[in-house]
Amino acid sequence: MTTMRGVSDPGARPVASSGAAPLSGAITVQPGVSRWARWIPTTKPKRREQLAGVLTISPALILILGLTLYPVAYSIWLSLLEKHSFFPQERFVGIENYLYLWKDEEFWTSLWLGVVYSIWTILFQMILGVAAALILNESFVGRGLVRAIVLFPYMVPTIVAVILWKWLLNDMYGVVNYWMVALRIVKDPICWLGADHIMLSTIIMSIWQFFPFVLLSILARLQTIPPELYEAAKVDGASALRRFVHITLPQIRGILFVVILLRSIWMFTKFDTVWLMGEGAGVGRFIRTLPVYAYMRTFTYYQAGLGAALAVIMFAILVVCTVIYFRLFREEADIG
Amino acid sequence: MNRWRLRHLSTRGLLYVGAILLALQAAFPFFWMVSTSFKPPTEVFAQPPSFIPNDPTWDNFHRLFTATGFLTYFRNSLIVSGLAVLLTMVVSAAGAYSLTRYQYLGREKIAGLILCTYMFAPIMVVIPFFILVKKMGIENTHFALVLAFTSFCLPFTLWLMRAFFKTIPLQLEEAALVDGAGRVRAVIHVILPLALPGIIATSIFTFILAWNDYIFTRILITSDELKTLPVGVQDLFHSALIDWGLIMAAGMMITIPALLFFVAVQRYLIRGWGAGAVKG
Amino acid sequence: MLRKRKLFGMAILILIPTFFIPMMVFPAEKKVVRVWHTETEPLTIAAFQEIINDFEKLHPDITVKQEGLAWGDLEAKLTAALAAGSPPDAAHGQAVTCASFYAQGLLRDQEDIAEAVGRDNIFKAVKMQCFHDGKYYGVPHSPNVSLLIYRKDIFKQKGLKPPETWDEFIKMAQAMMERDKDGRVTRYGLSLPGTPLFINILVGELTAANGGRLFDLKTGRPTFTEKQVVEVLDFYKKLNDTVLPPGWLSHGYLDTFANLATGKAATLYQGYGRGAGYIEKYAPKGTGNPEHFGVMVKPHGPSGKGTAAQLDAEPWMIFKNAKYPEEAAEFIKFFFKEQEYIKYLHTVPIHLLPTLKSVQKSKAYQANEMYQRWKEWVDMDYFYFEKDLAKPTLIIQWADLKLPFGLEILGSGIVVDMVTDAVRGMPSVQAAAKAQARAEELITKLGYKRW
Repeated sequence: MTTMRGVSDPGARPVASSGAAPLSGAITVQPGVSRWARWIPTTKPKRREQLAGVLTISPALILILGLTLYPVAYSIWLSLLEKHSFFPQERFVGIENYLYLWKDEEFWTSLWLGVVYSIWTILFQMILGVAAALILNESFVGRGLVRAIVLFPYMVPTIVAVILWKWLLNDMYGVVNYWMVALRIVKDPICWLGADHIMLSTIIMSIWQFFPFVLLSILARLQTIPPELYEAAKVDGASALRRFVHITLPQIRGILFVVILLRSIWMFTKFDTVWLMGEGAGVGRFIRTLPVYAYMRTFTYYQAGLGAALAVIMFAILVVCTVIYFRLFREEADIG
Repeated sequence: MNRWRLRHLSTRGLLYVGAILLALQAAFPFFWMVSTSFKPPTEVFAQPPSFIPNDPTWDNFHRLFTATGFLTYFRNSLIVSGLAVLLTMVVSAAGAYSLTRYQYLGREKIAGLILCTYMFAPIMVVIPFFILVKKMGIENTHFALVLAFTSFCLPFTLWLMRAFFKTIPLQLEEAALVDGAGRVRAVIHVILPLALPGIIATSIFTFILAWNDYIFTRILITSDELKTLPVGVQDLFHSALIDWGLIMAAGMMITIPALLFFVAVQRYLIRGWGAGAVKG
Repeated sequence: MLRKRKLFGMAILILIPTFFIPMMVFPAEKKVVRVWHTETEPLTIAAFQEIINDFEKLHPDITVKQEGLAWGDLEAKLTAALAAGSPPDAAHGQAVTCASFYAQGLLRDQEDIAEAVGRDNIFKAVKMQCFHDGKYYGVPHSPNVSLLIYRKDIFKQKGLKPPETWDEFIKMAQAMMERDKDGRVTRYGLSLPGTPLFINILVGELTAANGGRLFDLKTGRPTFTEKQVVEVLDFYKKLNDTVLPPGWLSHGYLDTFANLATGKAATLYQGYGRGAGYIEKYAPKGTGNPEHFGVMVKPHGPSGKGTAAQLDAEPWMIFKNAKYPEEAAEFIKFFFKEQEYIKYLHTVPIHLLPTLKSVQKSKAYQANEMYQRWKEWVDMDYFYFEKDLAKPTLIIQWADLKLPFGLEILGSGIVVDMVTDAVRGMPSVQAAAKAQARAEELITKLGYKRW
């Protein structure tokens, strides 16, 4: 995840991405020189530069640490207590909450449901998002309008989106069922929101709601890829697929890396959409993912300590996965 | 027709099919929402469901604006989201610039730390955040909301902007600096145009995240005059004398202004804004 | 270089005050009483605000701020507020919530409010909502009962008679079903909400109607595996297999009203007065009236003898450690003054019934068009009140309110999962045993095990 302090690694990079010699103040090394040579400083980063760097990052740092450090620390502390959500009495129990969860069947079910939900939604959000970005990158009649309307799912408040979908999929008077029966695709209406299909419906709805994020991010990047690269490739006779694989993909790798990371964090901790689709119990039981379970333990079981422990577990899982992710994709994570 | 032209046409054809499908999947629920907002109550559940209302009425909108605090909520949402975007973008643009252009001790560690704070599920952070806000004495203020929104937008905007900034070749600034421009000018004339699509995209996301936040607003805000739209709509939904038409009308009024804004802004997501600079 | 720093410094200097200015707009030196309730209907909120305005005129040094929010949100906000040590001055609660808070010593007693409205003026059934150790700790804002609503026109047309037992009910509901020429059902016999709260409510009701109980009186041990509760699960199974729509578990509270109003379902077991307004709005023209939608007494189960229903009456709770509990009490006394109270009640006429006998009898209250039209429903509510046949959620007898874990069991979803398991095929006895084990474990973990 990190490179050596004060040293940049220009190394051998594909031509298409950024990364010529970094700005003054850093060390440059020609490819071919022994890798240990990198450790020998030739110039120190100017103090001014360092200070400027720290100064410009400090507002962000102060805000983030100031606003999240206390809540995170509080939650970690809370996870070591047995505390009723309403009442002030608390009892220090150490890791007892974690041991309880280890043996808790509901925990493992919600972990599994959370993983299933996350993986399917992330996968399709990425595929659809990239495909849609490629389409909207080309110019065609009505592009501006399509670009705007395609953001609608992401823009509408979750409650409205869930109401809309619950209604479209309603087994008694929903439009989707009506047409499926009328077109004879199925004989009886499907209970999209019933126990058997609610996970599928929630996944589809989540993909619909969030892939515009991927779309917009990739599109923004695609817009700054110099068109000459494509021209040159076309002249050489490269097909659309080859152009995609050899030009587009390397160019968007950096953004792709971050987008996958962000969407993963978000889908794994997604609460609103899943809760509103199911409310945690009844049918909601079949989409009781980890965030929902954590919420339930705190706000409906009133066991704040267990809820906090679940949040910490979610956090730990994410950290571990992220570290692995960064190790696997060092290049994109490294500085250019 | 030679092979190349056929290929070209079929690619074009596929393109249009893709674009239409894209538009449809987003537009269909949207139009359903619009259609229902114009329906009188008895038509809402009519079978077969009608796409175009048989008996359209403005009644739902009338009630939305007069009998509920919708306009107040709208104004509040606008103010709070706007401020949040401003604060977040300024801070994260500076931060992202720092993370990609300067060298200093622990730079990557800082980026990693910021990412780490992000992995705590917001729903669990709400309560201690409320306690913090209470200690600061700013509960039930828009200020607290803006801080809350910033706290959950900054980490992701930093990382996203960092990724966008990294795609801008360092040679450009170097060239400008060599030509004698100060760093500020280098940033404004060289980086900004190239980063614009990224900045716009990130601003849109920040805005939407702030605009749609529910749980922080619900917990931090008590007064009706300070509520934002999502909370207002949720309350309408739970008022149990529910009015599907009213809810859909609310949904429509929430999305249309934003949509119009995006139609205007998406112009800046065009190719060529920064491409020219590379040659120079 | 220096310029950038300067620029940035300036930016910060400008931004920070911009945010501090809104902070400085502080409210005047008035006492601010915070009241949280669960009536989110815009009309009700407006009426409540009128009452507040009238109150503030008489007490210029007090400002009352109301917030209407849905149940789940109220609990979340209460959690946050209590964690931060700043509870609202007054809030709605469920009977079990009130009981829990009382047990923790968080509530201010409301004896003075009871005196002000007249102790004998409060319906007995409603009085017990939050009455502990001989004192009032919560006076409910408005009671109503879960009603069995049915399609009177179809009922009459088919010459059916009111059911007295559960089996008779199923037969009746089946008779009211309709199919189209392809054999697909176009009208189901019954529509139930599948949301957690309502399943909890119905299980409590049905157990009471079946002569059973959910918790042992002396030890508090769950009694889910007893015959009466298992029969409740059997009833659910039968309903699921015969008269309920297959997707009923995914139906919300409002979906059931939509189903009834549009003719997709013939009866509702968990209907509330609000439904009358819904029916008037959404039923096809000419059918949104009591001639088409009536109420009947609920049947009892095989092991039970009499009818039972759920009582929905949130008591006002006043927190001892809030900032202005005395002022909150003053406000609530004002709230119950006939003239003001009627304003509130008339916003949802058939649903918001008065807690006070005097108001119920008052001509001014009864002079409400909708009230007069749907009087049949109101009379059914009072039938249950007066005979003390309705109890709060999960409470079978009033003594159950002494059990300290009602709140946690309600929120845990154990009872809901029990029903979901049963209707999805698990034998009732097994589902009951599983829920029993989970409930015992929860109670033990909470430290209340006494068996």
